[in-house]
Amino acid sequence: MIQIPVRRLLSVLSIAVLSGGISSRASSLPDLWKERVKSVVAVDYFTELENERRPTTAYGVAIDTHGTVILPSAAVDPRISPKQLKDFKAYLPGDPTGFDAVYLGQDAFTGWHFVRVEPKLAAQLIPITSWAAPDKSPVPELADEVWGIGVRNKDEDFTPYLLDSHLALIQSLPQQVGIAQQEVAGPGLPVFNRDGVFIGLAASSFGQTFLQFSQADRGGTPIMLVDLEESSAFSLASEVLPYLGRVPGNVDGRPLAWLGAYGLESMDRDVANFLKLTDRSGAVVSEVLETSPAEKAGMKNGDVIVAIDGQPLPRFRPDRVVTDYVEREIERRKPGDVMGLTVLRGTETVELKATLGDEPKLIREAERKYFDRLGFTAREFVYGDAVARRVPIREAAGVVVSYVKPNSPAAAAGIEEDDWIKEIDGKAVKSFADGSAWLTAVEGDTLRTEFVLLVGRGTDTAILRVKLR
Amino acid sequence: MNLSPNRSIFAHEIGRKPGGFRYRRNAGAFRYVAGSVAERASVSLKRSVAERASVSRRYVAERASVSPGATEAQRARLSLNAKGLATFCLIAFFILLPEAVRAAGVGKGFNRLLDSVVRIDVREETFDDGGKRFDASIGSGFILSSDGLVLTNAHVVGPRAVEVTVTLPNLETVGAKLVGWDHWTDLALLRLDMADIGRRKLTFSHAEFGESEKLYPGETVYAVGTPFGLTRTVTRGIISNTNQYFEADREVDGYETGQFNTWLQTDAAINPGNSGGPLVTEDGRVVGITARGYMGANNLGFAIPASTAKGVVAELVKNGAITRSYIGIVPGALQDLEGFYALAMDTGMLINSVDPDSPGDRAGLRGGDILLAVDGRDVDGRFPEQLPAILNVIAGKPVGAHLKLSIKRGTETKQVTVVTERLESSVGEELAFDRWGLSVRKVSRMYARAHQLPNDTGVVVIGVQPGFPADIAGLLPGDIVTTINRRPVDSLEILKSAHAAYTRKPEPTLLEAERDHRISLFILKP
Repeated sequence: MIQIPVRRLLSVLSIAVLSGGISSRASSLPDLWKERVKSVVAVDYFTELENERRPTTAYGVAIDTHGTVILPSAAVDPRISPKQLKDFKAYLPGDPTGFDAVYLGQDAFTGWHFVRVEPKLAAQLIPITSWAAPDKSPVPELADEVWGIGVRNKDEDFTPYLLDSHLALIQSLPQQVGIAQQEVAGPGLPVFNRDGVFIGLAASSFGQTFLQFSQADRGGTPIMLVDLEESSAFSLASEVLPYLGRVPGNVDGRPLAWLGAYGLESMDRDVANFLKLTDRSGAVVSEVLETSPAEKAGMKNGDVIVAIDGQPLPRFRPDRVVTDYVEREIERRKPGDVMGLTVLRGTETVELKATLGDEPKLIREAERKYFDRLGFTAREFVYGDAVARRVPIREAAGVVVSYVKPNSPAAAAGIEEDDWIKEIDGKAVKSFADGSAWLTAVEGDTLRTEFVLLVGRGTDTAILRVKLR
Repeated sequence: MNLSPNRSIFAHEIGRKPGGFRYRRNAGAFRYVAGSVAERASVSLKRSVAERASVSRRYVAERASVSPGATEAQRARLSLNAKGLATFCLIAFFILLPEAVRAAGVGKGFNRLLDSVVRIDVREETFDDGGKRFDASIGSGFILSSDGLVLTNAHVVGPRAVEVTVTLPNLETVGAKLVGWDHWTDLALLRLDMADIGRRKLTFSHAEFGESEKLYPGETVYAVGTPFGLTRTVTRGIISNTNQYFEADREVDGYETGQFNTWLQTDAAINPGNSGGPLVTEDGRVVGITARGYMGANNLGFAIPASTAKGVVAELVKNGAITRSYIGIVPGALQDLEGFYALAMDTGMLINSVDPDSPGDRAGLRGGDILLAVDGRDVDGRFPEQLPAILNVIAGKPVGAHLKLSIKRGTETKQVTVVTERLESSVGEELAFDRWGLSVRKVSRMYARAHQLPNDTGVVVIGVQPGFPADIAGLLPGDIVTTINRRPVDSLEILKSAHAAYTRKPEPTLLEAERDHRISLFILKP
């Protein structure tokens, strides 16, 4: 009975605060929009492949006064080596003038790609932090107005435009993600509340299922569409602002924390209940990788991770988000950090302590060389190749075909992408240096009529003869 | 709204590449083969025939009037009622047939052959949809002996057959039982119910093998069989190729086939339903067993040579099964690689690949080795057509034999001893668990090898029934169930007893299963 007046008082107070905010609003929405567009940058670059230069455009926000810009993780294909990314240019929305920019690398935890633009452009940008709340970032309430910025394509001079919506839902995926009723900003672009306070960064949009009907298919076929230009989902400011300092020290984003628990799989409610993990969750480890921190810590294939540093894994909707949660817990740490892991092994509960390592060389970091006359690219065989082929790491040798030029001698011989070249002309390839040198010699020898490869594909091997003339 | 986590759209995973070299070339070649299942005019063929615009409507109508499994007599009755004249003509044609053939210059032997060709109606179990089902199909065959042996294709009658009905040339039907099968050569041997035949005083004639080795391209041959259920249809053509090669494939209901033989090719019209019927010379001698063809092509039919069939029949009669030896090598044609390997022409066979953990692997053989001789006998694998015969020599050695192989690697030639194992199929025993709506196949040693599994523990899910516990739990065909209630599934018995317990008292049951080598947990619950 006594509580009611208190509650009433509180609500009256909060209304006063809110209405105070509204009345003290400095500008109209168009004015707010015009100012905040100055935090937005369009970036384009080329991916240099064997047979083409593929242009890509992405949008990002300035995070400081030095011209540092963050782009969303989808801005760069993760299979591509940073060495293949060329000619970064940055643009102000609505202006076709290109400014030079440099790629700084990707942060594993946030997934952001960092780019630095030249000072001339930096001087014209306002960091996104200028629009942040001074202390704690406000969390939007259901039905609150939320708005953001969209950017058109290059042929429209990256013209910025306004998107406006209302908050529909907040979900843990596992980051706190706000979902608006309609598209609220371009992926990677900022979202604000009605007062112009930064409340989040638009994420990749969700797939939406549609039924496609046609003359031939009157029953309709379900198809999933993903809007690449605008998104209704955004990571809340609390998932953005604390991490703006994670600028990679190198383009490879090293060091990368590594546990070596491969193939994490989520579980559904029934399984969690059966394992007595009510309201909690677990992640099954499919394979403990050789020589990894997980192996050294005594983890076994099939172990179910149920807690990290004593913190039980929360239950997410959908269940599968739990694997991202575990991966982010690893990525937020550094090599050398000790990670406490509680695992279920059969009916036993086991406590493990893993000292995280640095991720072995990734495929995108592998050395590679393109042989135009032979018609393929050979790349170094790295740790991930041994994992993918399920061979012991001690058998790591040879080179992997990462590209085959159509209608080339290599293509005619039946060489395919991902083939594992084990021998060249009967000689075992021990290292990338060996393989590369031998192939260079073959390519340079214009009198050569053929060479012979022993190639592995799946569990089979085969001898392939490449005719050069 | 699909709530997928905010991950890159390029979500990168280390891809494990499936598949190998072995079936590749063939898959291309057979793209238009409706496959063995369709070939024996099974129920599913109805659909595929109807879908295939190139096949005339008449066929479909004809098929539709014949319910699979109907006996010849029923069929005649049915048809007479339904469409009198057409069927009357058909029967008249059958009766007049020998006469017509005689007119074409074919003699007594041919008539005797016609009196030995049978239609085979099969009802078999299938486990594809998460439960036990029955499937009906029609094929051809011919009687081999006066004591009622009938030869047909393995893809017509196999161990899954539960009811086999043979229609004799005089239109009487009689039951038959499987004596044995050999999916590697796509042959199966049946025995007619002789007691019934004796009681009913039925008579029949039997066919005789000819010499398929003496065939020449251009020689006239006839195919006799039951295409699309049209009993005792004779078609005529020539031998197009006496020694056609296909890479081994899985055209016998998913079982391996074709490693050990080449094929006779003919342009005599062969259609679905011809399978198991004889390919004969003008004197009525059986030179091949028609087995496959290219659908949609013009008269490209293939038959297993009598020379292969004779040996298989002899051993099936004796032992009910064929035992072969396995060392795990995958051959390749050496064609034009002789220079590279410094070999004389027509010498040696290339080993393209060695199965992991096979006898060959354990003996240290590897891809790129050249096999020069087996137990002192030189081999010549210059051309693909020569490879099945070489593999057949190895397969013919006793299980456990110590083979002396001459192997050339680089400039060295050495003797390697390989101890043979019994050749096994990769297709394990199948079973359905009704209450779970789950059908499975035991992981075999060969399956485990091919899929890089550590051992043969587990069962492969081959079907789930919509709405049943296995489906609701999220199991999919191809998943490998490795444990149930934390007990390793090292035999089907483990699952049988768990299913029996579940049937008595349905309680949540925990399964661990692998999908593309990723482990997930599943609950089967009532």
